[in-house]
Amino acid sequence: MSPRGLRPRLLVAFVLVTVLGAAAVAWSGAGSASTALVTSAQQRLTETVAAQIAAVAPELASPPDQSALERLRAAVGRNTLVVYQDLRSADGSVSALVTDALRSAVRDQKRLMAQRITAEGTPWLLLGTPVMTTALDGARTPSGIEVYAARDLTAVEQEIDDMTGSAILTAALALPLAVVLALLAARSVLRPVRDLRDTARRLAAGDLDARSQPQGADELADLTVTINEMARSVQTSMAAMRRMQADARRFAADVSHELRTPLSTLTAVVEVLAMTADGMEPDARESAELAITETRRLVRLVEDLMEVSRFDAGTAQSRMEEVDVTRAVHDCLRARDWLGVAGLVAPGAVSARLDRRRLDVIVANLVGNALRHGAPPVRVDVSASGEQVRVAVTDNGPGLPEHVLPHVFDRFYKADAARSRTPGSGLGLAIALENARLHGGTLTAENIDGGGARFVLLLPRDAEVR
Amino acid sequence: MKRIWPVVALLVAGCGVQPSGVDDGGEAPTGVAPGVTLYFVDARGELQPQLRETGRLGTVSEALNLLLLGPGGSNLRTEIAPVSTPRVVVTTAPDVIRLLVPLAADEVTPRGIGQIVCTTLGVHVQSGGARDMKVQIRFTQTTPESDVERTCPLIR
Repeated sequence: MSPRGLRPRLLVAFVLVTVLGAAAVAWSGAGSASTALVTSAQQRLTETVAAQIAAVAPELASPPDQSALERLRAAVGRNTLVVYQDLRSADGSVSALVTDALRSAVRDQKRLMAQRITAEGTPWLLLGTPVMTTALDGARTPSGIEVYAARDLTAVEQEIDDMTGSAILTAALALPLAVVLALLAARSVLRPVRDLRDTARRLAAGDLDARSQPQGADELADLTVTINEMARSVQTSMAAMRRMQADARRFAADVSHELRTPLSTLTAVVEVLAMTADGMEPDARESAELAITETRRLVRLVEDLMEVSRFDAGTAQSRMEEVDVTRAVHDCLRARDWLGVAGLVAPGAVSARLDRRRLDVIVANLVGNALRHGAPPVRVDVSASGEQVRVAVTDNGPGLPEHVLPHVFDRFYKADAARSRTPGSGLGLAIALENARLHGGTLTAENIDGGGARFVLLLPRDAEVR
Repeated sequence: MKRIWPVVALLVAGCGVQPSGVDDGGEAPTGVAPGVTLYFVDARGELQPQLRETGRLGTVSEALNLLLLGPGGSNLRTEIAPVSTPRVVVTTAPDVIRLLVPLAADEVTPRGIGQIVCTTLGVHVQSGGARDMKVQIRFTQTTPESDVERTCPLIR
């Protein structure tokens, strides 16, 4: 029953207002008109009866006999009762209609009395009057004759009913007009609202240029202006934020690029140093070995940074080819000498179309991470299901703490502040995730029952280049 | 919308002819009387009412006819000359009763005119008429007396 939309609500409100207004007008109008009709009819009938009695009264024998009563009754017309002491002359159903209240009022007031009653659905006007004797000095005394007359008011009622009917009809005719007005009003309200909704949808979909044209000067126009202002402000903030992000990425890319050249020189020097380290003093050799390790780590970090920069800039290239995933994973483990600490479980050859180098990077990062932060033995499960290849890397360590889990793929995220100087660059898992996304796949981290962290890589078997 | 129909029905039912209590409808009609009152002149020369028990009030015309026929056997006299055909034509206007009498102006004394006027007004008042009614008597001959609108000193 309760309508939800603005349009039906407006419609119902208009129709209700119209109906109530028309009903109120019709009611008060018909009420006063019917009162006027009844009053005038009553007055006319009363005057007629009084005049009829007055016309014949001087001719009546006094004291009256039965024939005088008959004569008076005939003069007043149908439905008349004339009473004088024990004599009575009646015609029609008036005897049954006359009320005791009327009889006593006629006797007490000694005036013409009127009463409306409804008997068996028929409205009647009852008139009762004594016939008076007037002395020469003007004193009036009852002659003892009483006249009661009943007059049918059906015609008056019919007239009132017709009037009420026409009032209702008029009200009903006003209804379509109210509906049309309600629809027009609803449209004038709903069109700006719909425009606003469309604009808001476009904004939500990312089209920050979307605006509504405010129309008129009402509250909806105010709302439109406000929403436009909001969109402009959001657009400005977004543009600033994007610019800053781009600046930051470009800076990282530039820095890593600029570092590469001096680093290659440094690497060459360190290689020479490494070759001569054996002939050094123990203290000097330790320093040299430290320099070699840190330089290699720096090279790795710069390479990872450049890789991440390429992902951020959207310039990461991939070379898709048919790859046996099982074999690729095996090669990856073997190349890094991990076959002793990491077990490969695979159903056999699993072919997929993907970038072999990037798969290698992902698996190496995952297994390396498992070996560094978890504990051997590490298990690598390769399986295929329908359109997807699944590579799961499970370690035997204590698992990932709950607070780390949401951030495990963040760049430079250190789970343990005390272990800040781990051999990894801090970008390995982030790069693995970007590589998975580049294939249209997913990479997720979870803890398995009984401890141990599991990283699950899902790749489509026929990856499109993203 | 379903809730609106009882309201409409109530409004419609509120119209039509409603029963009422007993209301006053005005003065009761009058006119019943045991006889008609005629005015004659007594020994002191003053107008005296005489109730003629006809059993009913009758009309102005009937009363005047009786008046013209005289007082009958009583100690009252009339100052209207006897006429052979006592016929009076009565015309009632809203504020004056015009009488066409079969008399010349000199056949009636001022007291005789008073007899006619008082008898006329008596019947008029007893029939429920107004007490301030005027009476205009038109005589058979043209005379200014015919245009005078008169009242009865005994009926004010």
